[in-house]
Amino acid sequence: MISYRLFGSAIGLCLLAAASTAPVFGEATQQGKECFESRDGRSQVVQREIAPGTPNVKCSPTTSGVLWWGDPFDGTIPMGDMAVEADYTHEEAVVKPREPQIDKNKLLTICAVACHNGEYVPVPENKNPRPLKMHKDIVPDSMELKHGKGAIWCLDCHHPDNRTKLVDNFNNEVSFNQPQNLCGKCHGQVLRRWREGIHGKRIGMWNKGGKKRWWVCTECHNPHDIQQGDRTSGFAQLHPEPAPNLPKTMANADHERVKHGPGH
Amino acid sequence: MSKEDNKENGAQSVSRRDFLRKAGTYSAASLSGAAMLLSNPKPAQATTNVEWAEHFQKNYRLMTEEEKQEALDRLEKRYSEEFGKEVTVDGSPAMDGVLFGYALNIQKCIGCRRCAKACVAENNQSRGDEQQIEWIRVLRLEKGQFSADDRDNAGYPGDYGIQVGGNAYKPAGVVLEGQHYYEAEQVPEKDAFYMPMQCMQCEKPPCVKVCPVQTTYRDPDGIVVIDYNWCIGCRMCIGACPYWARRFNWGEPSLPAEEMNPVTHYLGNRPRMKGVAEKCTFCVQRTRKGRWTACVEVCPVGARKLGNLLDPESDVRKVLETKKVFRLRADLNTYPKFFYFMD
Ligand code: SF4
Ligand code: SF4
Repeated sequence: MISYRLFGSAIGLCLLAAASTAPVFGEATQQGKECFESRDGRSQVVQREIAPGTPNVKCSPTTSGVLWWGDPFDGTIPMGDMAVEADYTHEEAVVKPREPQIDKNKLLTICAVACHNGEYVPVPENKNPRPLKMHKDIVPDSMELKHGKGAIWCLDCHHPDNRTKLVDNFNNEVSFNQPQNLCGKCHGQVLRRWREGIHGKRIGMWNKGGKKRWWVCTECHNPHDIQQGDRTSGFAQLHPEPAPNLPKTMANADHERVKHGPGH
Repeated sequence: MSKEDNKENGAQSVSRRDFLRKAGTYSAASLSGAAMLLSNPKPAQATTNVEWAEHFQKNYRLMTEEEKQEALDRLEKRYSEEFGKEVTVDGSPAMDGVLFGYALNIQKCIGCRRCAKACVAENNQSRGDEQQIEWIRVLRLEKGQFSADDRDNAGYPGDYGIQVGGNAYKPAGVVLEGQHYYEAEQVPEKDAFYMPMQCMQCEKPPCVKVCPVQTTYRDPDGIVVIDYNWCIGCRMCIGACPYWARRFNWGEPSLPAEEMNPVTHYLGNRPRMKGVAEKCTFCVQRTRKGRWTACVEVCPVGARKLGNLLDPESDVRKVLETKKVFRLRADLNTYPKFFYFMD
């Protein structure tokens, strides 16, 4: 099979030196190791044993992404508790609440009270953008927040005086657990597809009556970094898993990098 | 049920193929010679303790229910000993009223290769430097590779823009032009898109057609499976597959006991031996129990959908109804049940 392939020419030899180092594929169970589901830093899971010799997840040793699910329903609650308008009559739908993830460092519960209860920071008089003094880790330059092509700003999504909640455009409080109720106000088509199950991610069982874990918007998308780097999709860039080993007879994969066209 | 009388020589390390090849001049000496030849410096996990009953068992499809159960029990016992944990070997047949279909959103895929590695973890592929097998390949394709200026000299003669006679600059044996071995610091890259490929579970699978011993076949739920015990390693199927979906165990598979997934299926992810072909089975060990495949569950962007093509409520059916869909090499009339789609 692979040995039929054209062996690499010597052009650009250095490029692939790193590629040929083999991935370390190991450490099936490392209790307590933390890895991430979709977004590093915002969808973490801690590895633990759910049955003798079986971890809840396996983590990639190179990128720390979740590589395998032992229990896809770990930490989930019934969808009924979240009241999503969607047809899940022929399945048992569950969802993982977002608040514990977002509130990992108790930023919501402590800071929202200590800083955003009106004592340290006055409730803003209007929604107009102004430079942020805090939260620059989340939005490095608040005047450059490109979400909505510059049309929206923090307080269009975050509740102005209840910082443990989001807010929709009718001033209704929206839980961090159910970001779709906010995102869907603008991204209605996407919300519809998500409810139908063809946008976004579901894990667990495919069959009728089976149990499915639904993923909500912010598990995959970060609403703050829409313009991050030179990326071209709705997802933050991340480091890929290692390439497969090169065939034994091939020193590098330069042949793949040659543009086949005129002058070649 | 009793094959006890066949069991006394259980510890020999020899594959069925070698046994048959040497059957004419069979003696204890030649047998141990074969065992010596086959044993690697490192422990040969998948072929140790192969019992006589295993060498003489029928093609899985021809076994009676009783014989199947014997074979499964035998394997469970052997693997549990070899890997030092309780291994189950399932023989679940296809579910009634189910035809599996797969849909992959090519616009969403970010090329992270997590699907490929999840597959290795789930399906007990050989890993490491010596013998590495991955059923899923993620192909990186460059955006805008064809331009009007390229036409004249790149195999696109005349004013018609029609390629004739192939292109001498393309390496032979590569199904699609693209990069398998890309090493990006960050994905998705700006000028690339990604196309994961794996077994398409064709309706008319060329691999099944060419297999001389009929050890690979299509089950009623549409999954093309292999009875590894009957595979003679001729690699006809590998040559026949237009999607480059089959892999061959050139060496002794290396599957560390602590990483071995003990939930296995006879036709799926049970440990393989040297000299057999293998491929994606849509994780039969999971999907025939209602669970999604490892690649669906692990894809961080939800690009992958799997479901029952016979159920109008299923994800795949909804995709087929509402999205722009294409199949690879539709011209070959293999009728893949793996669909690529766009938003
Ligand atoms: S290598 Fe492929 S074609 Fe040959 S016996 Fe095995 S499954 Fe059949
Ligand atoms: S895991 Fe998903 S996004 Fe990553 S390469 Fe596979 S299909 Fe693409």
